[in-house]
Amino acid sequence: MDRIRLEDVRKTFTLKAGQTVSLGGVPTNRIPVLSGVDLTIRKGEFVTLAGPSGSGKSVLLDIIGGLTEASSGTAYVGATPVTRPDPSTAYVFQQYALFPWRTAQQNIEFALEVRGVPKAERRERARRYLALFGLRGFEDRYPAQLSGGMQQRVAIARALSTDPEVLLMDEPFAALDAQTRDILQGELLRIWDEIKTTIVFVTHSIDEAVYLADRVVVMTARPGTVKEIIEIDLPRPRDLEIRNTAAFARLRGRVWEVLRDEVTKAQRDWQIAAH
Amino acid sequence: MSVTSENRTHDAAAFSLWRHRFAFPIRMGSGLATILKGVPLLVVFFAFWEAAPRLGLLNPIFFPPLSVVVEAWLEMIRTGVLGRNIGISLQRATLGFALAVAVALPLGVLMGRYARFEQLTDLMVQTLRNTSQFALLPVFIMLLGIGEASKVAICFYASVFFLLVNTISGVKSVDPLFLKAARSMGASDLDIFVKVILPASIPSIAAGARLAVKASIVAVIGAEMLAAQSGLGYLIHQSQLMMETPDMYAGILTLTFIGLAVNYLLVALEARATAWRGQAEGAPH
Ligand SMILES: Nc1ncnc2c1ncn2[C@@H]1O[C@H](COP(=O)(O)OP(=O)(O)OP(=O)(O)O)[C@@H](O)[C@H]1O
Ligand SMILES: [Mg+2]
Repeated sequence: MDRIRLEDVRKTFTLKAGQTVSLGGVPTNRIPVLSGVDLTIRKGEFVTLAGPSGSGKSVLLDIIGGLTEASSGTAYVGATPVTRPDPSTAYVFQQYALFPWRTAQQNIEFALEVRGVPKAERRERARRYLALFGLRGFEDRYPAQLSGGMQQRVAIARALSTDPEVLLMDEPFAALDAQTRDILQGELLRIWDEIKTTIVFVTHSIDEAVYLADRVVVMTARPGTVKEIIEIDLPRPRDLEIRNTAAFARLRGRVWEVLRDEVTKAQRDWQIAAH
Repeated sequence: MSVTSENRTHDAAAFSLWRHRFAFPIRMGSGLATILKGVPLLVVFFAFWEAAPRLGLLNPIFFPPLSVVVEAWLEMIRTGVLGRNIGISLQRATLGFALAVAVALPLGVLMGRYARFEQLTDLMVQTLRNTSQFALLPVFIMLLGIGEASKVAICFYASVFFLLVNTISGVKSVDPLFLKAARSMGASDLDIFVKVILPASIPSIAAGARLAVKASIVAVIGAEMLAAQSGLGYLIHQSQLMMETPDMYAGILTLTFIGLAVNYLLVALEARATAWRGQAEGAPH
């Protein structure tokens, strides 16, 4: 069964009057960011999205999450076209986006509060999800008192506490050190294995993309479209050691090959703009 | 494009977080040691105050020795004159401040959040803000009479703009990522106002409130000196007219103490309201 379906999704940003950028040497106030994305994601699938910087990955997540409208085309979550944030979709950001004036517990409760979940149940759920991420005992800490890895655990716990059908993750581990990143990847896979929610995960790390995914979607340079989809047929559950296998190396090489030209193109794009 | 706007947003977010943390670079900790270092100069000052009139360096009619002032002060406490007038002044200042909060918070949130609304109102606000509250005292008296209302009005006027300006800037500097996160969780506009924008603006609003309280106290004293039959300002002014200079200085010293106490209180409250920002911060200044 399909969970997310993107049909010819396009997005063009129009800058405010007077603002222009130079695209290919031509000044313009219209930036085409997505030029026709078609993609179908199955229920319970783990898809990673890779592509050069500026290829519209974040914008695409925003469209799926109902935070930005597509200029044309349609994004479906389930059977309904997305028009605004859907309660069954959750979002995790690179910068954690925890509210610094709320404790870990209260941050998770926020997602439940705005859904009108009664207080006792909120409490219980928030505690359960903190425990799930190994954060028992940290309920009353403010984000400023938690490490980056713990903050991102809280943010993921907050996203999952609402039992989302779709989890959108925009470079969630990019700000973390390598060890913490490895650990969190493992935790995410372990939890996903239990709840089997549909995950769309943006990353710049090819290793991460291959390690986590059922399929890696590679985007072209801006304006972005789907360049190629690479099936990751590695067995699950996967442990870290799998990265040292030949099969993993082959897939990594394959993704890099597809990505390389696009990264070069994107770099050329910036050089033109810089002149 | 040399910089994607995504990156720019992240930088802006990081910057605004950074700013939140360090917007008020006040430190506690070393507070007591710092205060102790300042004590000798204060002692010298008081000693000079005591000695100079006695030695004939200053005219004791205009500058009575400190001990005489303290005596007058104790007497005013004993008779209850001081307490009564402090109460009256603080009541006026507090009422004016409370009204200012009631007006400035909603108005500031609207002005900070809706650019259209701000464009409509900003010039008006700037015009009013740059009109001295004391210049307006005659207007308040004509409109509201010589009684309490005109004093409360001047306190309101003196404090409202500090609150308003800081509420607006607090609301404007809310990290857009917080808003995005809240929206992604399905928060309604009202939820976003109450649970995101307002708490995120608390550090800025609290700093404005501190200035506003001080301004309110200054305003009430000024107003009482110019036109009142009671209050600490009236007491000081009246003592001067009657050449009861010990009483006058006692009143002035009282004001100083009130100023110090209020400042400590406000700093402590502010530190509490913003404890989530990390380490305890705040020291009088
Ligand atoms: N609100 C906006 N207004 C104008 N342009 C925008 C806006 N949001 C994004 N863009 C532009 O859209 C393009 C794609 O942005 P997006 O953030 O989706 O890229 P990305 O693939 O996520 O990049 P990165 O890997 O660096 O995060 C960029 O060129 C960016 O400048
Ligand atoms: Mg991005």
